Amino acid sequence: MPSNISNSSGLQRLIAQLAPLLIVSALVFALPVLLNNDFLLNKVARYLVLGILTISLGLSWGFGGILNLGQAMSFGLGSYAMAMALKLKTVPVHTGASGLPDFMVWNNVQHLPWFWEPFRSLSFAIAAGLLVPALVAAGLGWFMFRGRVTGVYVSIITLATMVVINLVIIDQQSYTGGFNGITDLAQLELFGVAFDAYGRATYYLVAGCVLLSLLIAFAFTKSRAGLIVQAIRDHESRVRYFGYDVALYQIFVFALSAAIAGLAGMLYTVVMEFASPTFLGVQLSLSVVVWCAVGGRQSLVGAFLGAVLVAGMQGALSESAAFLETWTLVMGALFVLVVLFLPKGLAGLAQATCRWVAQRRQAASGAVGRGVSQTEGST
Amino acid sequence: MSSHLDLRDVSVSFNGFKALNSLNMSVCKGELRCLIGPNGAGKTTALDIICGKVKPSAGIVSFDGTALQDLEEYEIARAGVGRKFQVPSVFRELSVSDNLEVARARRTSVFGNLRWSIGNAGRDDIERLAELVGLTEQLDRPAAYLSHGQTQWLEIGMLVAQDAELILMDEPTAGMTAQETRKTAELFARLKGKHTLIVVEHDMGFVKAIGDIISVMHMGQMLAEGTAAEVEAHPEVRRAYLGSGGISHA
Repeated sequence: MPSNISNSSGLQRLIAQLAPLLIVSALVFALPVLLNNDFLLNKVARYLVLGILTISLGLSWGFGGILNLGQAMSFGLGSYAMAMALKLKTVPVHTGASGLPDFMVWNNVQHLPWFWEPFRSLSFAIAAGLLVPALVAAGLGWFMFRGRVTGVYVSIITLATMVVINLVIIDQQSYTGGFNGITDLAQLELFGVAFDAYGRATYYLVAGCVLLSLLIAFAFTKSRAGLIVQAIRDHESRVRYFGYDVALYQIFVFALSAAIAGLAGMLYTVVMEFASPTFLGVQLSLSVVVWCAVGGRQSLVGAFLGAVLVAGMQGALSESAAFLETWTLVMGALFVLVVLFLPKGLAGLAQATCRWVAQRRQAASGAVGRGVSQTEGST
Repeated sequence: MSSHLDLRDVSVSFNGFKALNSLNMSVCKGELRCLIGPNGAGKTTALDIICGKVKPSAGIVSFDGTALQDLEEYEIARAGVGRKFQVPSVFRELSVSDNLEVARARRTSVFGNLRWSIGNAGRDDIERLAELVGLTEQLDRPAAYLSHGQTQWLEIGMLVAQDAELILMDEPTAGMTAQETRKTAELFARLKGKHTLIVVEHDMGFVKAIGDIISVMHMGQMLAEGTAAEVEAHPEVRRAYLGSGGISHA
């Protein structure tokens, strides 16, 4: 009997925790009804994709305690995987009979490189967009976490790895499009649906992936493995002495986070219609950390909203004449303020507000109860 | 009773300082062994060696016939060794019940743990454990909000949850009130027999209340072993503690 009660209260708690996630997803899905502007919708889709990227960082940073400053590396790898497939779909329309992507023709490449071949298949590209970031992260994690590298050193290693891959992509112009990235892509076509960057279908594809990412990340944090990952964040060696192989758990959450970032990268290519080395640049990677901190790194929905709101604000500020020069300053100030006064971000603020309201309500009813007992005592 | 845990000629040195110098110790199954000695005698280091936190520079640690000295910490834990640290070590941001859930390490593989942790039969187990260590009221609170004594109990509860065959306790009653210490002694008496315990303690009242056999360490070596009365009468033990008025004030 007691277990039944605790189970039902556990279920209630689960529903309460799922509620913000479902409400936010519902709003995301409902937005096109209110916003009848394809250009704006494309812009929002872009911010939603950055939101997925930030969810992935929240998973490794907020829950796993692993501050990955190179989160955009996984994002960029996913983005290039999708761009390679969509580029090959344009062949030979844009290039004529040689059967090569245009930038390869300009760089005097004679044959399609072997690692481009499999990207003729879209399913392979999608699998690669998820698995390549995950495997790269797992490999990197293997070296770091087996060697018990922690804290700021993890951040430095991830940042440096991303910069190296970024430089390789820029350097290998004949195979990667170099500094220009991969542009002039075909439209993604899945199950007979064409995903035009400015079409509703693309928006709903992104919205669906937002919901999917939130649910996968949520399910992981509620699993026993997710609990152990959070325990590792709090006290790594304590977990080890309970018989858990700490490094494997860290590698797993690191790779899962990378796979979600890879998904976001693929969507970004679809929404932006190109892939660029800036997608795995330092600026984007550090922005993700700011978004995650502002939204609340220990809340998946918070991290997502932080990205959408702050990236949206960044977009608006950088386009307005008044802040054209100073918007980075505004963002910097926002970050400093949040770190100083809202260590748990907007999500922490929301939780504290809810708790405060509940306490006020409880205190009010308690005061009434005390008032009654006092009058009883005095009579 | 056969010998369960055996330390043979175990030595460790930190930057030339010999923390353990050919330490020999054996503990039988189901025994509650108290480990005492002056500061710097190597008591905590001895526990560190058993649980794998420190690797010995020489010697053998065998537990149930398994050589522990070459295993990783998590492998030693899986072999049935649990450890409570001197500084209470819990997961501060997790609730008390989640702390106990992590400690119930029945399954340790990542993929084996990709299942939801709510609504399982383990909830009864956790409630029973919380009752055992007097934390029923605090089950849903983060461990960061517990008092020092409660944090100690939570970690002891986690060790019980882990259900290790051999439990190593480093100063479990540090910072506890007399009443809390007495409750802890009762709990240890209940664990004895089912688990093998090694307890490092300074509080002699507590040691006399719980211990069958007391091992006295001094300068990284085993100085004496026996019941409380035997140890107190031992001339070398008296010399080691000279000036502190006998071991009851150690």
